[in-house]
Amino acid sequence: MTDLTTPLHAWHIEHGANMAAFGGYDMPLWYSSAKNEHLAVLQTAGIFDTSHMAVVRVEGPGAFDLLQATFTNDLAGCIGPSRKPLVPGRAVYGAFLNKHGHVVDDSIIFMMSASCYLAVVNAGMGPAVTQHLQAQASGRETAVTDLSGSFGKIDVQGPQAANIMAAVLADPVAAFEKLPYFAFKGCFSERMPAAGEIRLRDGHPVLLSRTGYTGEFGFEVFTPAEALVSIWESILAAGEAAGALPCGLAARDSLRGGAVLPLSHQDIGDWPFSNHPWPFALPYNEGGHGFRKTFVGDQALLAAGDAPHTLPFVGRDLRKVTLPARVLDDTGREVGDVLTCVTDMGIGRAGDRIYSVASPDAPEGFTAKGLSCGFVRVDRALAVGTALELKDQRRRIPVWIVDDIRPDRTARRPLTGFWQE
Amino acid sequence: MKELSELNLPEDLRYTKDHEWARTDGDKVTIGITDFAQDQLGDIVFVELPETGDSFAAGDEFGTVESVKAVSELYMPLGGEVVAINESLEDAPELVNNAPYDKGWMLAVKPSDPGEFDQLMDRAAYLEMLKGSE
Repeated sequence: MTDLTTPLHAWHIEHGANMAAFGGYDMPLWYSSAKNEHLAVLQTAGIFDTSHMAVVRVEGPGAFDLLQATFTNDLAGCIGPSRKPLVPGRAVYGAFLNKHGHVVDDSIIFMMSASCYLAVVNAGMGPAVTQHLQAQASGRETAVTDLSGSFGKIDVQGPQAANIMAAVLADPVAAFEKLPYFAFKGCFSERMPAAGEIRLRDGHPVLLSRTGYTGEFGFEVFTPAEALVSIWESILAAGEAAGALPCGLAARDSLRGGAVLPLSHQDIGDWPFSNHPWPFALPYNEGGHGFRKTFVGDQALLAAGDAPHTLPFVGRDLRKVTLPARVLDDTGREVGDVLTCVTDMGIGRAGDRIYSVASPDAPEGFTAKGLSCGFVRVDRALAVGTALELKDQRRRIPVWIVDDIRPDRTARRPLTGFWQE
Repeated sequence: MKELSELNLPEDLRYTKDHEWARTDGDKVTIGITDFAQDQLGDIVFVELPETGDSFAAGDEFGTVESVKAVSELYMPLGGEVVAINESLEDAPELVNNAPYDKGWMLAVKPSDPGEFDQLMDRAAYLEMLKGSE
């Protein structure tokens, strides 16, 4: 496959990035050190070029109905514990499934207005998701458009993210006001009504969102494609004094692993989207045995009683297995396979628990040596604490099923804890 | 990633196709991985080495080097008995990145056939091989 590139490709090469193919794009894996880039997100900030991701616009009077009929989360009841409806300026995570309940792709849907939504999907998935939605759109008054390549995207993640963005935003006070986790303002296209809402000091409109893929406090910044390089450089310059680093996909992968976030087409994919650590992405009813709405794939999910179970694990030390790798139970019987195995270099064990370099209660002298972690897919439900072995061609490593991996993550914390006017 | 012209490839070493280096030091041969290898692997976070007294033939796997990116096998440039391992790599595997030919050495062997050393690539041959694989 010919490698696609983002407008920052030349910048990455010039700055010594170790490049690799991902989702059809030639992307930086790391610049000088994946470990330092991972730690920067936990301790200062990391700045990622994520312009390889795709955006699909769904607009028209039938947009809500089309998404409600195809997306796993319930747009009429997804905000907060009282399940309020999605409103303009808020975003929601879920997946698009086929009729077998298998994942076409996962997505965060941004509600721009009552008749316009942006579905952010994975690299290279713009055409497939557009086609999938168009196929379901018959009879509904909607237009589904793949916006891939018409925008740039920069993720600014870590405790210094608000200070860095404050230095490049025209009006940071207005931008940051009432901007909780999964809220956003503005748009990257002048054509959209929200475009004037958030501008950078250089005048460019951006969509500023309290989302990310690291588990840590920060923003996703959607920019006009033609302004990506200059905005990237101004964000990097704003972060330099704080020790922020440009980061590649290796750090992104290890951070999201420790944050128990799935990688589409690896941790979720051609099997039923159920029995996984992300039940909030499905509209379960009170009893958990049915759904509050109907959507493509719902009946298949309810019927898939024997669907495999996807569970997070942590290893004893930082050693990992290389895929493909199998999962063995304590009798040595094969019970499944390994979906993701990465090393979170920001965590380690002390006594009987795991701390992160950012844990306020880490014991004195704690150094994070790193722990392997990720997801296994097994043929049965397993309780937290279950001991397993992962086996690749070379080695076996002991791991335990857990309900969470990297402690003291900051993604959901109020912005006011990271920034003062 | 380093350009070939940026690689540190000392003249006094011999090299293997698997990117190990070997240096004679009296009756011992010291072994590690090359600047090219450490640059390709990225941050090295763990090095698994054999024990002193273990014996290997040329080409045998003697351990693994684990980076953030991947786990890779280490192969013996020549046969012999392990007489020393670099124990400082246990706590500081990053020495392999920072000083691959010096503090990042991995093990020393007493060669079973000193002639095997002379069959390894010199700097020019190794560099030629790297150019060919570009």
